[in-house]
Amino acid sequence: MGSSGSGKTTLLNVIGCIDKASTGQVLLDGIDVSKMPENQLYKIRRDKMGFIFQTFNLLPYLNARENVELPMEGKIKSKADRKKRASELLTIVGLSGRENHRPQRLSAGEQQRVAIARALANDPAIILADEPTGNLDTKNKHEIIKVLAHLNLTRGTTIIMVTHDNQAANHTERMLLLKDGRIVKEKEGLHLAKKNHKCPHCGSSIALKDDMCPSCKMPLYASEEIFSS
Amino acid sequence: MGIINRALRNISRRKIRASLVIIALGFAMAIMISIPAGVMANQQSANSLADNLSSTITQTGQSINQTLSQIDLSMAVEFSGFGFARPNSTIPAGFNGGPPNGGGSGGNDFIMDPSQFGGGMGGGFFGGGTFGGGQASPMNETLYADINSTISGISAVEPILQASEGSNQTVSFMGRSFTRPITEYTIEGIPLTSDLIDNYNILPANITAGRNLQAGDTGVVVLSENNSAYFNAGVGDTISILDQEFTVIGIHGTTSTSDLLTLYMNLSDAQTVTNNAGYITSIRVFTASSDVVSEVATTISSMHSELTVTTGEQRLSQLESLQSMYTTALESAQASVSSTQTVAFQEIVVVVAATSLIVLFVMLYTVRERTKEIGTLKAIGFSNATVMGQFMLEGIFLSVIAGVVGIAIGVVAAPTLSSLLLPSVSGSLFQGVGSIARTVTSTGAVSISLELILIAFGAALLLGALGSLYPAWRAAKIRPAEAMKYE
Repeated sequence: MGSSGSGKTTLLNVIGCIDKASTGQVLLDGIDVSKMPENQLYKIRRDKMGFIFQTFNLLPYLNARENVELPMEGKIKSKADRKKRASELLTIVGLSGRENHRPQRLSAGEQQRVAIARALANDPAIILADEPTGNLDTKNKHEIIKVLAHLNLTRGTTIIMVTHDNQAANHTERMLLLKDGRIVKEKEGLHLAKKNHKCPHCGSSIALKDDMCPSCKMPLYASEEIFSS
Repeated sequence: MGIINRALRNISRRKIRASLVIIALGFAMAIMISIPAGVMANQQSANSLADNLSSTITQTGQSINQTLSQIDLSMAVEFSGFGFARPNSTIPAGFNGGPPNGGGSGGNDFIMDPSQFGGGMGGGFFGGGTFGGGQASPMNETLYADINSTISGISAVEPILQASEGSNQTVSFMGRSFTRPITEYTIEGIPLTSDLIDNYNILPANITAGRNLQAGDTGVVVLSENNSAYFNAGVGDTISILDQEFTVIGIHGTTSTSDLLTLYMNLSDAQTVTNNAGYITSIRVFTASSDVVSEVATTISSMHSELTVTTGEQRLSQLESLQSMYTTALESAQASVSSTQTVAFQEIVVVVAATSLIVLFVMLYTVRERTKEIGTLKAIGFSNATVMGQFMLEGIFLSVIAGVVGIAIGVVAAPTLSSLLLPSVSGSLFQGVGSIARTVTSTGAVSISLELILIAFGAALLLGALGSLYPAWRAAKIRPAEAMKYE
């Protein structure tokens, strides 16, 4: 998190190998990718990263399934395999049956779910999300956060997310506050507590879908400013 | 969902823009194929023109040689008009001649066609009509028998009877009526002796159907193509000339305006049918060599002062100036072809440049417009090469579709387009040779060959690739971080 110009997106871009760090190095599996040439970087982006954008960035002239297939093109040779995998991924994000819809026929929430399926195309180690809920209403926002949390729990995918939204931020394990390009604060998120199925307030057992602790009734989302300083 | 499919879908995404670009490119392509087609057609017509001219030049040369040993004799008369009096005979009964200066009594007048005098000689456009001059009157054959028998240096004599059949047409002009003769056909009687036929050029040249006249032929006739239409008869048919039946044995192709209406038959037949037994209209004298021509001519003049004696030498300068005119025309045809090629080359360079520029600008615009999309593609793992390939393909498809449109336009509009864009070969020739060009010009048809279509298709492919090279490179250079930006 952080105010505008604090360097959130830049950090995300540097991690995602779509921008170069002017100083320092970026280690990915122990390899410095900051000096890598573009003809190797694109493979890292394709195989290890998945991107989710605030504006979804789906190709308007392709349907949902074709959009999901895009990153697989350089990796999976068989057309049928790509089609099958794309359909599976769309089912995971809850869009089975809408494979042949073009983006303009999908709601904002559905579009973002297609984008998530696309990010998962090549089973990436990291998903980089730039304000994924920024253009969504409360209901859709909640859905997307749930989908992302679910991915982390079931597939073990690391999700690095830039957000202005406290609710979304609270769903993470670890929150970082950036200011002028530096990390100024760090905080544990509720996702870790949920992962451990323990209420951070009273220690009693909680379920992932719970919005408040069933025993102490404390909210599991903080509504106040998380990094109030 | 390969890049080919994506490229095609991208084109169809902006339908109006794509259509406009395709129409613009299509016209450029149409021009591109029309120009070579036009050049080829021009070249063809120039070539056939050159062929015609050079054979004409050769013919003229032959005529010059032939003419040098020939003398034409005829009777000059003072009156003009048609219908003729016979100075040294009485008019045969039944001959429906008009008064000397009058307009004939209508109906089927038997008239002289002044332009036919000397016709057949040389067989070119320079038959008598152009420079024969004067009018001919019938002359009694027996009065001139002495020419062949008494003058030395003459190897043969060809008596000819020419007579035209026609009608008078009354025309109204400014409230006054005039009568003018219209020739329907001209009968030329040739003496069909084997000596003359075998050794001298007396028969009609260029038989297109049937056979030519032979020694001893009688009751037969060789028609011109015009005659054939006039009598509505072909080879083998029987026609009636002045109430007498003749069998058509051949058709001669017209080589000049002077024999357009001429039908050939045996001299004796001609004399009978025109009721002119014993009469001829001209005598052609063949001398042994060109050295004795002037001597023979002088002798004839002194023997028969009433005759107009025309020697080849008098025609020589005219033939020679004709020949030089043809040579000039040939040169101007060649010059005109080369200037056409220069213009065509310049136009093609302009069109090629314009086509590439259209593709370049459209694709640059497309790339700019889709910066975010390209950034996204790169962020999700597309290589520079794939992105570049997609945009190259888009440009190539665009111009190939335009190429098809252009070929379609070109096939329909090539003659119009090429005549608009190229100077015409025949046009420049008409100025040089005047009316003669009419007989030597052949207009080449502008047509699009399969080869040309394939070349145009290749050019479309190449220009599409060329024009989209830089935009595609620009697309490949877009940073993936562009995907993160707001629009």
